[in-house]
Amino acid sequence: MFKLKVAVAAAAALTLAVAGCSGGKSDGGTTRGNAGNSSITIFNGATGTIVENWNPFSPTLLQPTQGLIYETLYWFNFAKESEPTPMLGTAFSWDKDGKVLTITTRDGVKWSDGQPFTAKDVAFTFDLIKRTPAINASGLKLVSSVAKDDKTAVLTFEVPSFTAEAAVIANTPIVAEHVWSKIDDPAKSINPSPVGTGPYKLKTFSAQSYVMEKNPNYWQQGKPQIQNVRYVALATADAATAALTAGQVDWMSAFLPGLEQLLKNQKNLTYVNTPAMTTSVFTCAGAELGCKGPQTDPAVRQAIYYALNRDQLNKLAGGGFAETASPTLLLPERDKKWIADPASATTPGAPDVAKANQILDAAGWVKGSDGIRAKGGEKLSMTIQTVTGWSDYISLNDAMKQELKEAGIEIKPTQLSWNEWNNNQVQGKFQLSLDSIGLGASTNPYFTYLKYTTVTTAKVGEAAQNSGNYARYKNPKVDAAVAAATATNDEAAQKAQYAIVQQEIVRDLPYIPIYVNSMLTEFSTANAVGWPSNENKYALPASWKSWDNGVVLSNLQPAK
Amino acid sequence: MRYLLRKLGFYLVALWAALTVNFFVPRLMPGDPVDILLSKLGQRGPVTPEMRASTEALLGTSSGEPLWSQYLEYLRNLAHGDLGVSVTFFPAPVTSIIEQTLPWTIGLIGLATVISFLAGVGLGTVAGWKRGSWLDNLIPVTTMFQSVPYFWLALILLFLFGSVWPLFPLNGGYDVYTVEPGWNLDFLGSVLYYGALPALTIVLSSVGGWMLGMRNMMVSTLAEDYMVTAEAKGLRPGRIMRRYAARNAILPSVSGFAISLGFVVAGSIVTETVFSYPGIGSALLQAVGGNDYALMQGIFLVITLSVLGANLLVDLLYSVIDPRTRARA
Repeated sequence: MFKLKVAVAAAAALTLAVAGCSGGKSDGGTTRGNAGNSSITIFNGATGTIVENWNPFSPTLLQPTQGLIYETLYWFNFAKESEPTPMLGTAFSWDKDGKVLTITTRDGVKWSDGQPFTAKDVAFTFDLIKRTPAINASGLKLVSSVAKDDKTAVLTFEVPSFTAEAAVIANTPIVAEHVWSKIDDPAKSINPSPVGTGPYKLKTFSAQSYVMEKNPNYWQQGKPQIQNVRYVALATADAATAALTAGQVDWMSAFLPGLEQLLKNQKNLTYVNTPAMTTSVFTCAGAELGCKGPQTDPAVRQAIYYALNRDQLNKLAGGGFAETASPTLLLPERDKKWIADPASATTPGAPDVAKANQILDAAGWVKGSDGIRAKGGEKLSMTIQTVTGWSDYISLNDAMKQELKEAGIEIKPTQLSWNEWNNNQVQGKFQLSLDSIGLGASTNPYFTYLKYTTVTTAKVGEAAQNSGNYARYKNPKVDAAVAAATATNDEAAQKAQYAIVQQEIVRDLPYIPIYVNSMLTEFSTANAVGWPSNENKYALPASWKSWDNGVVLSNLQPAK
Repeated sequence: MRYLLRKLGFYLVALWAALTVNFFVPRLMPGDPVDILLSKLGQRGPVTPEMRASTEALLGTSSGEPLWSQYLEYLRNLAHGDLGVSVTFFPAPVTSIIEQTLPWTIGLIGLATVISFLAGVGLGTVAGWKRGSWLDNLIPVTTMFQSVPYFWLALILLFLFGSVWPLFPLNGGYDVYTVEPGWNLDFLGSVLYYGALPALTIVLSSVGGWMLGMRNMMVSTLAEDYMVTAEAKGLRPGRIMRRYAARNAILPSVSGFAISLGFVVAGSIVTETVFSYPGIGSALLQAVGGNDYALMQGIFLVITLSVLGANLLVDLLYSVIDPRTRARA
């Protein structure tokens, strides 16, 4: 029934295109089969009313703006260890001080309005960022940005900016000079008819759903093969699940308990699991910066680390989809080359209660009559906060409560609204909190280890930097090592510095890793094939991930 | 006239009080909009300290301003009909979000409320007239639907008629796949089809109240002396039921109806969440989730105005339909 509807819709769309209503030239038949009317539907987490905003610099942009319409110079795959993939750039090099970045751009790229793309557009983009603080989200300290010729752009920075590399080459959308030079306020424009270099362009928009169509000028030959991509908004995960099994959605990312059961009778549905974010117990660790509670004692944090039964936690709360984490907070597989000491590559799967007890005994925490330890009149009891409705995290807390009792540690789970939970972390008003280590601009450990530096923290009661050092961890050795690592572009030198960081944080554990949480993405092969799979993770397939979306969509073929 | 002025004065004071509460309550919530926006972005990619500065520059939220000056600014802007810019939907102005979502809510919940009222009052009239008939025995059933939690009822119906027997669509306001929004038959048909199940849940869960109230009022009206007179005059039973009994029995229901019309906007949140309906309730939920003061204020303003307006309407209407209230004025 539904398939028929799509076919009818697509056919209608095609007749419109032929009748010349869509403004775009219809595809010249370089692709095979039924590409002319292929169409898929994506749910990327949008809820409620959709408001049009195609401004690639805006924090509230519509997510396909980054990756489908606009592209970056390079693209990083977070799903596996890999070199950056050249997109609009083909080469880049730093001078030895890290102040001058020279970028070579790709030949033969056209904007979706048919104008040629050159290095002048790249130079213009960074110049625009330099002139407009409101869109300088990565805080690039640019002195100048000029095009030497049509293929070379040169960026000059005030300070050594090796660490800005990822932001520059992989997180800055390149916009067209001939369009954006006419836009008065680049921060507030919603950019109603976007002109980009990406595989898709805007076709129709309404407040409930919008459609992107193939960009016939796309620079990658023969791509994309899917003609139309529709985005929909759904209110809840339940609604999304129902839509997926009803065949109304081809691509979404959600943790669905009982996924295997759900997909068992659905021959078109598959899923891929790309764990990338480490679920951890965030502790308010820095007594110096105002944290209060037993968790400020490193011995308590170590004991928690050893007392957890991670295999059981994965079964009970992670749906069995989680992967082993690393006490270095990097990913054991993907970041292997960055982990200095193989001994601290992975967390233990089984609990070691004896060791936990031994650590606590040595630190002077004595078991009371109720089985809970205490020291100097203070009970070893802490609250752990998570968000109402995060069912997997709630079960995680309940299971950990049981496991930690073995070592005489009491945790009291609380559930708060997302806002309150987030505010507590930013302000440092928590004892333990369940959260995950987010994605950085690239897979370089720098982005994870910033969470341990005093640069990104503040006293309890003041706002720490977002996704920064919520633990209020203060360690001069770590600060110095991270600073030293940022001053060089040499991988070996960086490794040496990060080895120092790892030594410190594996001992102090301000963030206690549990496991690398699953990132489940569900696909339907009814309308398109060529999705990333557990064997071939050519991109991070999450439907909300900017940039990767464009890569995935370029790789799809219509289902026969 | 004095009666009318006194009423209007009261409503103006109530409006001011509501607007003030409206301003202060959202600001007592934990977190601030910039923080929340950045943290949400931070879960999906890198957030730099400069991003905070750039976002603040963008939203123009200088959190340093004292509350009272923000309050005066807020009242001044309200007077100009400027509700500010939404943070969640930046850079869309609040008025455009309300414009986009309110018609859906009024259409769905408003219509369902009217249908429920008419059906309830109609059935209640007959049930009261024919006490002890099968219709009268329907009342406990309808009140049961009223007493089960609404969201549960809605989810069950959605599961049965959306998944098990797919008679109705699962979510959304219209079929986004095949129709284009606009004044055409296809679109309107789709809107009706998509609105049918949510409307049905609202009617099911609220019809019992109207029916019970009307039936009991009918019963007490039937005991009045003028009813005996009317029967003695030999009037047709249908005429007695409609012109003599129901006309007097409906008075309390009318005031209840006007007030429930006022709560149409406020009552839409659960319905719209369950059915992913693109109305103002969903927008309010998103506004609360993002500490979006401007949008919350805008939507609360709509709710305030609709409740106050409905009450005012009741006051004025009552003096028209029930002469007894005019006697003292």
